[in-house]
Amino acid sequence: MSKDTDRRAFLKGSVLLPALGAAACSPPATHQDDLAASAPAAATPAAADYKPAFFTPAEWAFVQAACARLIPNDANGPGALELGVPQFIDRQMGTPYGAAAAWYMQGPFFEGKPEFGYQSQLTPKQQYRLGIRAIDAWCAKTHGKVLADLDAKTQDDVLKQVEAGKVKSDDLPLDVFFTAFLLKNVMEGYFGDPMYGGNRDMAAWKMIGHPGARADFLEWVDKPAAYPYGPVDLHGRQA
Amino acid sequence: MKRAALLVLALLVAAGAAVAVTGRSLPDPKVSPAIATRTPDPRHGAYVAVLGDCAACHSVPGSPDLAGGLALPTPAGPVWSSNITPDKVHGIGVYSFTDFARLMRQGVRPNGERVLPAMPYTAYAKVSDEDLHDLYAYLMQAVPAAPTANHADGVLWFARWPIGLWNKAFHDDSRFAADPAKGASWNRGAYLVQGLAHCGTCHTPRGPAFQEKALDGRSDLFLSGARLDGASPINLRGNTADGLGRWSADDIAELLASGRSAHSAVVGQMGEVVAHSTQFMTDADRGAIAAYLKSLSPAPESGRATFAATAASLDAVMSGKQTDPGALRFMNSCSACHRLNGDGAGRALPSLAGNPTVLAQHPDTLIAVILKGARMPSTAAAPSPMAMPPFGWRYDDREVAEVASYVRQSWGNGAPSVSAGQVRAVRRALGLATPGR
Repeated sequence: MSKDTDRRAFLKGSVLLPALGAAACSPPATHQDDLAASAPAAATPAAADYKPAFFTPAEWAFVQAACARLIPNDANGPGALELGVPQFIDRQMGTPYGAAAAWYMQGPFFEGKPEFGYQSQLTPKQQYRLGIRAIDAWCAKTHGKVLADLDAKTQDDVLKQVEAGKVKSDDLPLDVFFTAFLLKNVMEGYFGDPMYGGNRDMAAWKMIGHPGARADFLEWVDKPAAYPYGPVDLHGRQA
Repeated sequence: MKRAALLVLALLVAAGAAVAVTGRSLPDPKVSPAIATRTPDPRHGAYVAVLGDCAACHSVPGSPDLAGGLALPTPAGPVWSSNITPDKVHGIGVYSFTDFARLMRQGVRPNGERVLPAMPYTAYAKVSDEDLHDLYAYLMQAVPAAPTANHADGVLWFARWPIGLWNKAFHDDSRFAADPAKGASWNRGAYLVQGLAHCGTCHTPRGPAFQEKALDGRSDLFLSGARLDGASPINLRGNTADGLGRWSADDIAELLASGRSAHSAVVGQMGEVVAHSTQFMTDADRGAIAAYLKSLSPAPESGRATFAATAASLDAVMSGKQTDPGALRFMNSCSACHRLNGDGAGRALPSLAGNPTVLAQHPDTLIAVILKGARMPSTAAAPSPMAMPPFGWRYDDREVAEVASYVRQSWGNGAPSVSAGQVRAVRRALGLATPGR
C-alpha cells in the first residue's frame, strides 16, 4: 500500500473520522454530457444456429440460395452465406429500415425515372415478401422448382433474368426488388461491420484489404507498401 | 492501513476524553484590530470569491448563486455545501465578520459546530484579513439573499466532534507570511496557491488521517501529486516527467487561462476550476501562480517517471511488425487524434508524450480518461470544449491496462505499467460497467 493511503478503504474501515476533509476533493456532481452515448449498440455477430425472425422457411431458403449465388464462396474469398449475410438481412427487416419508417410513403405513387428515386408504396419487408413469392412462382412455372431447389447454373440464369427485367410480376417490378433491395442488402451485409450480423470475422474486409473502422491513416499516406495491419471493427476487435 | 486504523482509534479515545473541552469553545480568529475601522471593498471581494472558487461547491445549477446544495459523498454520509448568501435564516446573514473569519480560518460556526474539512479552511487560513474582509463585504452586500434551506446533514454528529482534535493535530491556523528574499510576484503566487486557490487540497498527497502532508512550500511534498477516488491530480513541482519541469511559466499561465497548453490539457475537476476560477484571474495573478509553481524544486524522484523523447515507438508501429496488444489498441482507438507519435495536434488534441497526467505516479486519472472520456472546459481564451469519447464500453480492464501501459511507456515516457486491478478499481470508483461480451 502506498503512503498516501487509499482514501476509500480507509474511510470504510473507520466511519468516525475527523478527517472528512478529503471530501473536499470528492468529485462533485459534475456536468454529464452525451459522451456515454458514443458507444454503439451491443454487437450481435453472426451465429451458426440463427433462427430467422422475419422470413418464413420458404423465404429463408430463397434468401440463402440467392446469397450463395450473388457472392459465391470461391477462390477470391468466402461467400455471403459463410459470412452470415442471410441473418443480416433478416435482422435488417426488423429495423426501421424494414418498415420504411424514415421514408416518405404517402401517395401519389407514379412510376418515375430512376433519378427521382424510389416511388413504390412497398416497404422493404413487403418487397421481400412479394418479390420472393413472385420469383419462386416464376421458377416453379418455368423450371418446376422454386429457386432454392434449382442447380447453381440455373439459379444464376434466373437471377440474371430478374436483374434484366425479363421476369415480370403483377405485384411489383422485380428488377427494382433485385437491384434496390436484394443485391444491395447482400452487399451491405457482406461488407458492413460484424456487429450487425454479417461480415463474420471481418472476412470481407480481409479479402479486399480494407483496414476497417480506424478513423485516420495520415501516417501511412506516403508509404509505398500496402497497409500492414489487419482490420478492426466498431467494437474494437482486431482481425 | 494498520497505522491509519491505530491513529483513528487513538484520536477517538482521546476525543472521548476531551470532547467536553474542545466541543463547544469558540476559537479566536485573530483578526487585526485595524479591520474594525477599515472600509471593505465588495468589488474586490467578488474577485476574492473567484480566486477562492467558492461557487465550485456553493453554487449548483437550478439554485440561486451561492445557495449551497452540492453533495460531496463520503462513506459516513453525504456532506452538503451550505447556503452562503446573506439570508438571515438559512445563510450567513447573521454572521459578524469575526464569525465569518472564524469559519474561514478554523472551520467553526458561530454556534460552535465544526464544519467538516471538506470546506478547505486549512488553506483559507492563509488568507489575509483584508481579503477576507472584502469577501465578507461582497457576500453580505452584493450577493442576493436566497431563502434556500440547507440539507439535513448526512454525517452524524459523532463524526464531527473529533474534528477539533484533528485540527489541533494537523491544522496550521497561520496567515501567509511573505518571504522578503523573493519578489512581489513570487509572494503573490505563493499566497494564492497556498491560500485562496487551495491547490494543495487536491494536488498535495494526504497522510493516514487524510491531512495534507504539507501546507506550504517548506516541504517538497507540497503539491507533489496525489490520489483520490478515481483521479490522481498531477505533481505541480519541478520534476521533468510527471511535474511541470519542462513547462515554461507562460505554459502554466496559458493552461490556467484556457484549459490547455502545448504539453497537456486539464481533465476532470481541474476543468471546472479553470472554467469557474482561473480563467477569470488577472494575467498578473496567473503569472504569479506560474512563477511560484516554477520555483518549486522537484519532489523526490524515487519512484517517479522519466521522460526522454524517442522515435522508437513510432518506428515499431510503422515497421508493420508491431504485435504488442496495447500498441495495436492505441493504433485502433487513440492514434487518429493523439497520432502514432503521441504528439496530438496543437492545443486541440493533447500530446501524450511527456504529459504529466499520463506520467503521474498513480495512473488513476489516465485510466479514468480512457474509461469515461474527457472534455476540455470552454473558456474565453479557447471556447471549443474539445472532447474525447469514452472507451470503457469498448475495452475490458485488461485491455485498458494494456493501452494505458503502452501510453505510459512510449515516445520516451517512462512510467510503471498499469494493472487490470488498477483499472478495475477506477472503474468501480466511477460506477462504470464492464463491457458485456
